[in-house]
Amino acid sequence: MRTGWIAAGLLALAVPVLLPERHLAVYVLLALTATVAVGVSMLMGYAGQVSLGQASFYAIGAYAAGLLAVHGWPPLLGLMAAPLAAAAAALLVGAPLLRLRGHHLAFATLAVQLILLGLLSRGEWAGGAIGLQGIPRFSLGGVEVRADRGYAYLALAVLAAVMLVYRNVVVSRVGRALRAAATGEAAAAACGVPVGRYRLAVFALSAAFAGLAGGVYAFYLGYLSPGSFPVLLSIEFVVMAAVGGLGTVAGPLVGATVITLLVQALTLLGTQPGMPGYAPAVLSYAVYGLVLVVAVLYLPRGIVPSIRRS
Amino acid sequence: MIGYLITGLGIGAGFALVGSGLVVIYRVTRVVNFAQGALAVLAAMLTASLLSAGLPHGVAETLGVLAGAAAGLLTGVLAIGRPGTAPGASLIVTLGLGLLAYAVEILIWGDQPRSFPGLGGAIDVAGARVQVHYLLIVAVALPVFAALALFFARTDLGKALSACASNPYAARVVGIDVRRMGLLSFALGGALGGLAGVLTMPVQQVSFDSDVALIVNGFAAAVLGGLTRPGVALAGGLLLGVAQTVVAGYGGGAYRLEVALVVLLTVMIAQAVRTPPAPEAAG
Repeated sequence: MRTGWIAAGLLALAVPVLLPERHLAVYVLLALTATVAVGVSMLMGYAGQVSLGQASFYAIGAYAAGLLAVHGWPPLLGLMAAPLAAAAAALLVGAPLLRLRGHHLAFATLAVQLILLGLLSRGEWAGGAIGLQGIPRFSLGGVEVRADRGYAYLALAVLAAVMLVYRNVVVSRVGRALRAAATGEAAAAACGVPVGRYRLAVFALSAAFAGLAGGVYAFYLGYLSPGSFPVLLSIEFVVMAAVGGLGTVAGPLVGATVITLLVQALTLLGTQPGMPGYAPAVLSYAVYGLVLVVAVLYLPRGIVPSIRRS
Repeated sequence: MIGYLITGLGIGAGFALVGSGLVVIYRVTRVVNFAQGALAVLAAMLTASLLSAGLPHGVAETLGVLAGAAAGLLTGVLAIGRPGTAPGASLIVTLGLGLLAYAVEILIWGDQPRSFPGLGGAIDVAGARVQVHYLLIVAVALPVFAALALFFARTDLGKALSACASNPYAARVVGIDVRRMGLLSFALGGALGGLAGVLTMPVQQVSFDSDVALIVNGFAAAVLGGLTRPGVALAGGLLLGVAQTVVAGYGGGAYRLEVALVVLLTVMIAQAVRTPPAPEAAG
């Protein structure tokens, strides 16, 4: 177990050096989506909540960091504000929404994201539908992170931090209480677990993960628009978390890696000369759809728990 | 105002049909079919193709609705076909099938919005000009809802369907094949979704991702009746359609979807506050 983590860590550190600069974009985006997927895995695995709107918190983090940076704040402050803004938004919408369960909550989170996208695309302050442009690059102590390699390590650091937090939450009192609540809510409540408050806390924490990833995303791309955060993105996070294994630390990482590489390979295939222009879109929709259906039906616990059992 | 009212009723009847499809499936299987909007889009696109291939009106629409039913049945087979699939897992499966439908739709019809002509012309109703097609939508939807209500209340099959949801075990004991009833409900839901798509396509362009708006509006309509009462879904859909048209008419054209969303959230939260959390399994 431990050797596996060390090997994975070394590999993650080595890849940005070995990979040519022009292929690093996939690596950066993979690390960022994995960061969000970790939050989804925690939310679905430990609090039993399906969020189909996780990309909203990704967007809120990105816009928080981007707006602060555009208005001349130091990038580090922007990056720190990203998870805070996302968590604050989660607390705000979560207080009423988390009264809902199951498919009601799924639709509610979807609705929240659609409302957010509507607000962003009409908000002058956010650049409207055109988007927020001219976000400066990330810099720390006067050193600007310019190359993709720098962002690869920044994204990796964020992912590692988030996984560490997740692991500590899982083994903590709160984690045990949540596991109890997921299996028997009334029993847990009877034992004195403040179920509602813990659920809200996990919701906010998973939003903070997404917001932090969004902050890095804003500095990396330097440009944000509502179109960068479609509903499909939220569903992708759910697919990755579910495929990898809910409620495990390694699961979302495995899920995000498998799916990103699969979609990347098919996009490469779809953009071959002779392929029609819509091929990449068709292939990626097909992959997400198929993988989700097959995983839920044949690997209901996800890749990581299935491997661990066999 | 009369114009807005009738246009709104027409649009709302479309939402109500999508919502009623959700209701029929949920009533029997406790599964919320996320692919319901995709079924409507699929049926509408197919009808457009059949019409442009020269089939007469009526035939093309019927085939479109049947295709919706077939796609619904297929969704059901995958979503609830395996014994022991939890409703939460089934929801995720229908979500995946909705994504898969995107791939199929783009492959066959491309990613541009499409439409086909419906009943042409406009008439004056109490001094307001209304496109005739909106009247057609209402005229088709109302008898469908009446038939649906009679079907569930009066026929043996309808009662058997309802029995599956309220007590699957007892239903099995008295000899009802719960799985077959579930599949039947998916096919019926698919037909209702297909009908919604076919009816509304002439007045609202449909593209492969129109299903998000359809499913959100349909769910908002259905959720008013706790997802189990088709009649309330009809009322909800009509109310939603009128509200959206009025909002759009008085200057907020861009905020139409948001109206549905806020209604949806308000109703769901109000319902959740009123009733203590049901002992429902997570997911």
